Amino acid sequence: MADPVLDTELEALPPEIRWREWMRRIEAVLFASASPVPHADLARIIGQNASVDLLIADLAADLEGRAFEVAQGTGGWILRTRPAYAPVIRAAADAQGQHLDLRDFDIAVLAAIAYHQPITRDGLKDIFGKDISRDLIGRLHARELIGTGPRSPRRGAPYTFVTTPAFLVAFDLHSLRDLPDREQMEDAGLGKA
Amino acid sequence: MKHVTATPYDPLDTLDTLPRMPLWVTSGRGHPPEDAAFLSGAALATLHTMSAHADAPHTLLRARLALLAAQACVTHAGRPERAADLRDAVHLLRPGDAPGPAGEIYQTWQRAITQPVTLKALHKAFPIQDPHQIARWLDAGRGGSPINHAASVLERVQADAPHTPEVALILADAALAQAMGWARLVPLLGLSLTARDLYKTGDALRLACHRSVVASAKTAVQTGHDLARKAALLRAVTPKLRAKGAAQAVALFLHSDAVAPSLAMTGFMSDRAARRLCDRLVAFAVVRELTGRDTFRLYGV
Repeated sequence: MADPVLDTELEALPPEIRWREWMRRIEAVLFASASPVPHADLARIIGQNASVDLLIADLAADLEGRAFEVAQGTGGWILRTRPAYAPVIRAAADAQGQHLDLRDFDIAVLAAIAYHQPITRDGLKDIFGKDISRDLIGRLHARELIGTGPRSPRRGAPYTFVTTPAFLVAFDLHSLRDLPDREQMEDAGLGKA
Repeated sequence: MKHVTATPYDPLDTLDTLPRMPLWVTSGRGHPPEDAAFLSGAALATLHTMSAHADAPHTLLRARLALLAAQACVTHAGRPERAADLRDAVHLLRPGDAPGPAGEIYQTWQRAITQPVTLKALHKAFPIQDPHQIARWLDAGRGGSPINHAASVLERVQADAPHTPEVALILADAALAQAMGWARLVPLLGLSLTARDLYKTGDALRLACHRSVVASAKTAVQTGHDLARKAALLRAVTPKLRAKGAAQAVALFLHSDAVAPSLAMTGFMSDRAARRLCDRLVAFAVVRELTGRDTFRLYGV
C-alpha cells in the first residue's frame, strides 16, 4: 500500500510557519541521508512554488554557529560537519569506522583518477609504473569515491574509473573544475607533468 | 513539339528548395558592430527558413550540432576529449555505468536538444538546478532582440554560476530559440563562442554573440544540406532492405548522431542482424562507420 499522500502545500499554515516547516523537512531529509540529495527529491517534499535554493539558503543561515553545515555537491545537497571539527571527530574513538582511512598511495591513485578520468587500470599502470592492486581499487570503490565509467573501446572492454559525487563532497569540491589547476601547480614548482 | 522523357526518380530533387546561406553573409567581415548585427540577423533568418522546411533533417542536424557544442564545452573546461571520445563515452555506455565528466557534458546537450524549449524540459536537462533559478536566468533581457536576450542570459548565468559554462551556453541557446519562436533548441552560441568570449560582458559579449551566430548558422546550414542529402539517400535505399526491423533501424539513423549496433539496435533485432544491416548500409554508402575501429564500432549518417 502506498504512503498517505504527503501534504506539500501546507495551505492550512500561515506563510511564515509554512516556510519554517519546509526548511525543517529539507533539514530532516538531509540529516537522514548519507549521500547528496538531488534537487528534484527536495522539491518533492515542499510546495510547488517554493524554491529549494531559497529554503536551503535560509537553512544554511539558521545553521550559522552550529558544528554542521549544508554543502552542495554535483549530486545535490548534503548535511555535514564543518571541516574545522575534523581533528575532533578523528580523535573520538567511535568515529573511526566512518573516516575515509586511506593510505597515501590510495590518495595518489584517487588523484590520478580524478585528473585523468575516465581511465582504465592499464592507464593507471602507465602513470605509476606498476600495477594498481584490485584491493586498492576496491577500497576506493567501497568508500564510493570512484565508480565505473564508460568501457574502454578496446579488446576485452576494460572498465574505466570515474569519480563520484561522494568524491566531490569528501574533498569539498563543487565540481571537477575546482581541482587544483595542473598547469598552475607546475608553474609554482609543485609537481611535474 | 517538345519530347518529354520520363526522368527516373531522384531522391535529391526536393533538396534544391532548402535555403542556402547567402555568400555575402559568410564572407562579410562584420567589422563595425552594426555590420555584425546585420549579418547575424541575415544568418538567423536563413536558418529560420531552414527550420521551417519540411525536408530538412531537423533532429539529425540538432544532434550533430549538439556534439559539436559539447566538444566546444569540453575544450573550454580544459579537457582532452574530442568529438570521437564523446561519442564513445555516451553511445557505448552500458546501464549503470557513469559517463564521466566529458560524457556528462555531452549528455546534458543531448537532453537539451531533444525536448521542446520549455522550462520543464530545461530543468530535466540540468536536474540539479532549481527551476525557479532557471526561470529567473531566462528572464534576463527578455523582450530584446534574440541575440541581446541570449547575451543577457549568458551574462547572468555566468555571473551566478561561473564554473558551468555548458549551463550558460545551453540556456543562452534556449533563450535564442525561444526568441526566434523555434520549438526546440538549436546549438549555435554553444558551438562557436570561445572560452574568452564567456568572460565578456555588455557590448563586447553582444558583439561576440553576433559573430558567433554568423559562424554557427553557416555551419548549421551547410551541415543541414549535407545531412538532408544523406538522409534522402538513406530513405531511398530503405525499400531494398529486407531485414526485420530495418525500418526501425533507419529511423534510428535518421535521428541519432551515432548508433552502436550492439547496444542501440538490440531492442528490435539480434546482434548479428544489426551488424549485418550496418555493413549493408555502409556498402550502399548511405551510412559511415565513424570510429575506424574493428570492434566497438559506431555508425552514423
